Amino acid sequence: MRGMARAVAFGLAIAFLAGACGGAGTGGTAGTSSPAASAATRPKFEVQTFMYSIQVKGKLRVGTQEDNPPFSVKNPTNSKWEGFDTDIGREIAKAIFGTQGDPDSFIEWVPVTSATRIPSLTDNKADVIIKTFTINEDRKKQIDFSDVYFSTGQRILVKKTNDQIKEVVDLGGKTFCAQRGSTSEQNVTKAQPAAKALLLDSYPACLLALQQGQADAVSTDETILFGLVKQDPNTKIVGKYFSDEPYGIGIKKNENSDRNGFVAFLNTWLAAAIKDGTWGKLYEKHITPVSGDKKTAPKG
Amino acid sequence: MPGAIAFEFPDLFFGGLWLTVQLSGLGLIGALVLGTAVALMRVSPIAPVRWVGAAYVEFFRNTPLVVQLFFLFLGLPLLGLRFASDTFDNIFRAAFVGMALYHGAYVAEVVRGGLLGVDRGLIEAARSLGLSYAQTLREVQLPQTFRAVIPPLGNIAIALVKNTSLASTIGVTDLLFAAEIVESRTFRAGEAFLTATLLYLALTIPLGLVVNGLERRLLVVR
Repeated sequence: MRGMARAVAFGLAIAFLAGACGGAGTGGTAGTSSPAASAATRPKFEVQTFMYSIQVKGKLRVGTQEDNPPFSVKNPTNSKWEGFDTDIGREIAKAIFGTQGDPDSFIEWVPVTSATRIPSLTDNKADVIIKTFTINEDRKKQIDFSDVYFSTGQRILVKKTNDQIKEVVDLGGKTFCAQRGSTSEQNVTKAQPAAKALLLDSYPACLLALQQGQADAVSTDETILFGLVKQDPNTKIVGKYFSDEPYGIGIKKNENSDRNGFVAFLNTWLAAAIKDGTWGKLYEKHITPVSGDKKTAPKG
Repeated sequence: MPGAIAFEFPDLFFGGLWLTVQLSGLGLIGALVLGTAVALMRVSPIAPVRWVGAAYVEFFRNTPLVVQLFFLFLGLPLLGLRFASDTFDNIFRAAFVGMALYHGAYVAEVVRGGLLGVDRGLIEAARSLGLSYAQTLREVQLPQTFRAVIPPLGNIAIALVKNTSLASTIGVTDLLFAAEIVESRTFRAGEAFLTATLLYLALTIPLGLVVNGLERRLLVVR
């Protein structure tokens, strides 16, 4: 048995050497973005870091939602993932695998909902969750977050004809719709305990309930409401912010040293992306069309 | 202790359990009444009546319950139809109607099978004794049918109790909904869903025992 194991190991070593030589020989002429060819241009990471193990695996698993405009939408016509959060995922993939080639070839998209964000990290179904994920103390007990990559607050969406609901306190006795498992429902009930919560699986479903008069209002983070107003111009956003929603990139806690260096890497990448204008470009591409403003950093 | 979290959130868990019980009970009654009526339509001597019954069964048995629930909750109002003006009454009634319609299709097939299983000789004997078609159905066919179909009806009843959990997708605050809310507030997913599982079992296991008992009581040794 031992002799055989050695023979196999030797065979593997030969194959590896041959592969390495072949790679070096064709790398220049192929000119494609195949993983082998771009290996030379890839960022270098210490062997014990999580980024290194992702490079070796060849895929970054990005968890995001299929219907959360303008942050993440899986385009029903061509199945392509679009939106601010998805492009953040692509930028992270570039920071790990290098800028050569289509970042999507290094990404495995994992569809999540608000309620499945934390379980998909703790059960190791996704490497990063980029999905309008508000950083808070309760969640920090379960998972780790990057620095704030987007900052917003919660407001209220009503029909354009509604002049009764102007602030969150006006929701007393009224029915508001929010996504199940999100902080939005808890924020409203904290501010106005007499509000009645209709909790559905997605905000498009909430918008439908609002249009039909089954809900008097929809309440969640302003940026998501922007997306809903764009879908239905007969609605409007009212009230002041009644919560702070700092979004972070969620990752599994570094237990058993299986996420070494990952939070620090994400924060370094984020700081650089803000500084070199990448962040501002993504804001302008995805958020400006619905908000009308321009920003160059998550805060201010 | 497993399930202890139910006593930390009694409103959610026991309120949810009560809604699940209500939805299951009403849904089962609705499904039995509707299913029996449709089964009678399907064995009717009048062809168009048979066709309507068959169309109903095929439609509701061959589309997902979730889709039916969404249609009842968010589709019907587009046509100007609503079960109640209050949103939460409307949701509950939509869920009840969905449960009755969907499981009614299964009940109809089971009862139809039972009706067809009654000995032709008995029916002919009843008719030749001067019983009308309706009397024969009521006095001869249906009693025998229900005795024969209790085990499959029991299966449908248990499936119905479990399927009520799909009503949480349209916002019914049932037992599964309670578990999801508690999970999102405490992140104790294991405890929350284990508790929901135990509470579902507390409904379905006794229901199975009742069905077995009925079956034994009504058993006729031939």
